[in-house]
Amino acid sequence: MAEATFNSTQDYVASKELLSSVNVAIALKKPLLIKGEPGTGKTMLAQAVANSLGKRLIIWNIKSTTKAQDGLYMYDTIQRLYDGQFGEEGVDDIAHYIKLGKLGEAFESDEQVVLLIDEIDKADLEFPNDLLWELDQMEFYIHETKRTVKAKHRPIVIITSNAEKELPDAFLRRCIFHYIDFPNQELMEEIIRTHYPDVEENLMKNAMKIFYDIRSIRDIRKKPSTSELIDWINALQIGGIPADKLREQLPFVGVVVKKDEDLETVRQQLP
Amino acid sequence: MFSNFFYKCKEKGLNITLGEWLDLQDALNQGLCESSLTQFYYVARMILVKSETEYDKFDMAFEECFKGVKNETEVGKNMLAWLDKPEMSKLLHEEEKHWLNQIEEIHVDKDDVEEKFKERLKDQDSEHNGGSFWIGTMGKTQFGNTGGNVGGVRVGGSTGYQSAFAVVGARKYRDFRDDKVIDNRQFQLAFRRLRQFSTKLDIPKTELDIDGTIDKTCNNGGYLQIEMMKPRKNAVKLLLLMDSGGTMIPYTKLLNDLFQAVNKSNHYKDVKVYYFHNCIYSKLYKTPECDNGDWIDTEWLFRNADSDYKVLIVGDAAMAPEELYSDTGNYRGPNGGLSGYQWLQLVKRHYKRVVWLNPKMAPGRAPWREAETAIKEMFPMYKLTVKGLNEAMIKLMATK
Repeated sequence: MAEATFNSTQDYVASKELLSSVNVAIALKKPLLIKGEPGTGKTMLAQAVANSLGKRLIIWNIKSTTKAQDGLYMYDTIQRLYDGQFGEEGVDDIAHYIKLGKLGEAFESDEQVVLLIDEIDKADLEFPNDLLWELDQMEFYIHETKRTVKAKHRPIVIITSNAEKELPDAFLRRCIFHYIDFPNQELMEEIIRTHYPDVEENLMKNAMKIFYDIRSIRDIRKKPSTSELIDWINALQIGGIPADKLREQLPFVGVVVKKDEDLETVRQQLP
Repeated sequence: MFSNFFYKCKEKGLNITLGEWLDLQDALNQGLCESSLTQFYYVARMILVKSETEYDKFDMAFEECFKGVKNETEVGKNMLAWLDKPEMSKLLHEEEKHWLNQIEEIHVDKDDVEEKFKERLKDQDSEHNGGSFWIGTMGKTQFGNTGGNVGGVRVGGSTGYQSAFAVVGARKYRDFRDDKVIDNRQFQLAFRRLRQFSTKLDIPKTELDIDGTIDKTCNNGGYLQIEMMKPRKNAVKLLLLMDSGGTMIPYTKLLNDLFQAVNKSNHYKDVKVYYFHNCIYSKLYKTPECDNGDWIDTEWLFRNADSDYKVLIVGDAAMAPEELYSDTGNYRGPNGGLSGYQWLQLVKRHYKRVVWLNPKMAPGRAPWREAETAIKEMFPMYKLTVKGLNEAMIKLMATK
């Protein structure tokens, strides 16, 4: 392929399948849908892709109240009403009150960008359906100014989901899908080493052992994720905790286990 | 290219559209598969499969197409044809029926039965009726149907005595979703009770408060001042878990009514419906057929449906004691290392409000139904009638 392809970067370790899914999505010009447990690096991926390809990253964070329209453009009617009352200048120009959303921004950009639509499942059930046309055709129409915004360069779209809600079939059909497995110990070691190249061997081994033990406790409500392990190892390094004291003392365990009930369970059940 | 693979995927239940298939062809044309089978596997999977729960189906289809390996654990068509002998049951003597009634006294080692079943399934190559070794009808082995053995694995056929451990291969559970015109108004009315209007929800102010806006604007000397308010919404979230096991078949219509009523009550904030077979274990099924693989992790549900969900479990709580107490008691799927009883305890611990509706509840204590008595102690149990449902709804809404 002549086009630029994505590779693991200095601070992001990706499995081979993940790499190829990014490259297939770019080649087929389709959005890439990434699912996986929280903390497996879904959001980080977009940053890494942008860095690796040397493109700008635009992040659209989805919340439970986000509407598809918010990503396209906003018509600030209330501002216009206020301005009208005070006789401000430019009130008769509607375009003055049209503000492009993140998707609009990505379309209007003069160079190709990476667009991350983060945690799409947080939004309303119908949200993905409302974006079908825009993601397919890479254009939308502003009714108020009768203008069509068309992508100058088709952005690389990466969408993440925590599987809180099922996504509609029509939407899924248009995506390339990849599920990030929870990293096995080998990959985990590599990930930790990318973050802390000179981490002490014993400390890392012990911390990882405890981490996987905690994950295997069934009663636990929120399983700790990769990012929490990385934070924990950082805290342990800074605190200068000797590796052999980890299991009995569980220092800074609050970094890994976030819920009170879970803390209790871990103290009782950790083998 | 590979169109047999396309049909194999369809056969395994993957819902692949032509568009996705063409995308795969496009990827092949662009050389994205790098002429390697492994790479082709990943590329095909990422384009054709859109949920990790369907990876397994894809793997099966892929394996069959590209390695020529047939899946051996499924009950073959031949086997079901050999067993399709409804006339045999007429031959069962009254005497034998009497003997079947003594169910409780017979002890069966389930692990052993299952082991043997798999073995026979592999070796058997012809029809058998009335023997004592192979899988067949009218026989004395622990597998097959219309047999005299109590406590074995049923293969196809209709449930006469509801005593076989598993109804392997029976695809007879109708999907409760099939829309039938039935009068379930009374059920619907009962579900209306599950209502908790709240404006204290954690939602943004999205509705224009007309009175507030007029007040504020007047106070502001005529200059417009917008006032917004939170919309009133029903805050109740409902989690419905339905037993779709063999012993529930006589109650299909009743469950259908109940399901329709929940489906039509669109005033909840969220409704989730999952199915289980006899008891809740580490997996919950997405459809009443309870097909292997078409499931979610029970622990996933705990993480994704928080403790505010009101849980309605519907089931007859009729099961062999080991199905409830043994940590290998689930004969249809994985146990996840815990017994059914422990899984139910996890449900109880996670959710604040749980009730159990039972279509054939025994009045008072019923020592001969060990599982039911144990579950009754754990969850408030009501009979699945309009009256029972009303009581259950009141229990679900009670503040303390």
